Amino acid sequence: MNVFETTAPTDGLTRRRGLLVPALILLLVFAALPALLAGFDKGYFYQIANLALIFVLLSASMHLVTGVAGLLHLGHAAFYGVGAYTAALLTSKLGLGFTVTLPLSGLVAALVAFLVALPTMRLVSIYFAVATLAIGQMLYLVMLNWVDFTKGPNGIIVSKGFELFGFSLSGRLAAYYTVAAVVTLSVVAIGRLSHSYYGNALRSIREDDQCADAMGVSTVRLKMEAFTLSAFFAGIAGSLWAHMTGYISPGDFKFSESILILAMVVVGGLGSLPGAVIGALLLILLPEGLRGLGDFRNIMVGLVMFLSILLLPKGLLGEVSALRLVRRQLGAAWRSTGKGEGIGWR
Amino acid sequence: MFDPYYLQQLAIGLSLGMTYALMAIGFTLIFGVLNVVNFAHGEIYTLGAFAGLVLISAAAPPIVAVILGALAIGALAGFSLERLAFKPFRRFTDEASLKSRAMRESTLLSSLAVSIVVREALEIVFGSQMRSVPFEYLINTPVRVGPVILVTGDFIIFGVAAAMLIGLQYLLTRTRVGLAIRAVSNNPLGAKYVGIDTDRTIITTFVVGSMMGAAAGILMGLYYGAIFPAMGFTPGIKAFVAMVMGGLSSIPGAVICALILGISESMATTFVSSGWSDMVAYGFLILTLIFFPNGLFGARRERV
Repeated sequence: MNVFETTAPTDGLTRRRGLLVPALILLLVFAALPALLAGFDKGYFYQIANLALIFVLLSASMHLVTGVAGLLHLGHAAFYGVGAYTAALLTSKLGLGFTVTLPLSGLVAALVAFLVALPTMRLVSIYFAVATLAIGQMLYLVMLNWVDFTKGPNGIIVSKGFELFGFSLSGRLAAYYTVAAVVTLSVVAIGRLSHSYYGNALRSIREDDQCADAMGVSTVRLKMEAFTLSAFFAGIAGSLWAHMTGYISPGDFKFSESILILAMVVVGGLGSLPGAVIGALLLILLPEGLRGLGDFRNIMVGLVMFLSILLLPKGLLGEVSALRLVRRQLGAAWRSTGKGEGIGWR
Repeated sequence: MFDPYYLQQLAIGLSLGMTYALMAIGFTLIFGVLNVVNFAHGEIYTLGAFAGLVLISAAAPPIVAVILGALAIGALAGFSLERLAFKPFRRFTDEASLKSRAMRESTLLSSLAVSIVVREALEIVFGSQMRSVPFEYLINTPVRVGPVILVTGDFIIFGVAAAMLIGLQYLLTRTRVGLAIRAVSNNPLGAKYVGIDTDRTIITTFVVGSMMGAAAGILMGLYYGAIFPAMGFTPGIKAFVAMVMGGLSSIPGAVICALILGISESMATTFVSSGWSDMVAYGFLILTLIFFPNGLFGARRERV
């Protein structure tokens, strides 16, 4: 597995081609899809598109901690829930708008993650997975049972839609653009994090944390940072969800959601960001496409997960090919100066 | 001076703890031989309960036959689970890959996937609503013992669980099959070298563990009188917690911790609403992981 090969695209041709794929993706997300959605003009399609984008963000944030840093995280949905509840409570109790709740949701989720990470991040392998499972379930129980604060199983109605500094963005198309913009920016940020020296340090923890420790990588600190960052982006996704649906309840953030997000990362390919995005799209759009099958669609999710583990152990787009793709097509992070120095992820 | 109410809660907690113990033993046995966590264990519990329900509604046999039927289904489920979700990932038989991280993670995820499929299939066949057990099968006829009122279920659960625990102890320490299981969990490669059929031993372990899980399922189903496809999730997690608290590979440790969990949960409902009582288990888990990372009864491990 030669992840760190040093053939960097330096000539102008590849550099120009390097802009093609991102341009195509941006065109698809911000022009083709909205045009298509506006053409059909059905609320249901907008709903699906937004849901898929939110799960792309969730899957990408989980990719950072499970794929890149190799920590099996079984409580991710809880931080998504913390973000959503922060947005909902800020809106319903203090009347704040989306512009304020979006960053605050991320920060609160990150703060909660940081606090629970303090005692637990020293654990490794299965012990870490168990600890995150317990943390996720505890947060879920708080959402479910602290009725005075979170209204418990009744959920909270979020009366405000999207807005930017008081300028309403609650129309269908405007809402789609808001979600798309936030998700795209976050995914780019996660991409830059995971395809940098920082990402490589996280990868070193995944491959052999004792060795990384011996080499001077501060593993506990890096694990905490990765965990907190991923919770931050999950919180952002939660805020998007709260303002998009206008109603949240604890059922949206239970263990099975964590597993769904994990399945997305696994189906796409552990350690591969494009894979995580593809996995999220697949596992959201496939069940919707199979709506005709009715009750069988959840079985399909389980089957897709099982078959992909069995037949494609590296995922749809495995890490090595994903890294190569990112390097060549989205290659801002990988460019040789040609002077024999500075080769590597920046 | 001493409120009999607490004694009553203690008895309920013991029954609860006994079913957790049955579940936790399945987890522990499987973790012992394969060093992996079987996330589909909760679904074995559910399958056991549904097998009992189907038997009751089809033939109305005596309760002993219901439990035996659930055990048979549990054994079958354990066998197929091993073939489906674990065997395909045991491609290589050297020690490194048998205990490797890739193998551990892929079987963890594959058992999760299988558990999703089983749960959803059960929802399609039986519906996601609670199905109630016919009244005459409920094991909650009150029995007065001194100042405390117990139900027959407490005795039945205690009796069945104790019988199974003793049976397991006999199996593990007095028979060749048990010897093989202990050998494989001690050192898979060494067991292979001395001529033990590791593959068959692993299947046996799954069958034994799943029978205990299915027994827990049907007993709890009859005790509470409600059976539904998602019922295995909470006991599954509690049993998992008990296993980790007990030190991952120690059966007596898992049993003791399961009893502690059951009792502290039923005691906790005295002070807080029942919704919060699940918090006890998770709190215990986090505290154990922080302060006793080897588990309360586990052997010393290199690192956690």
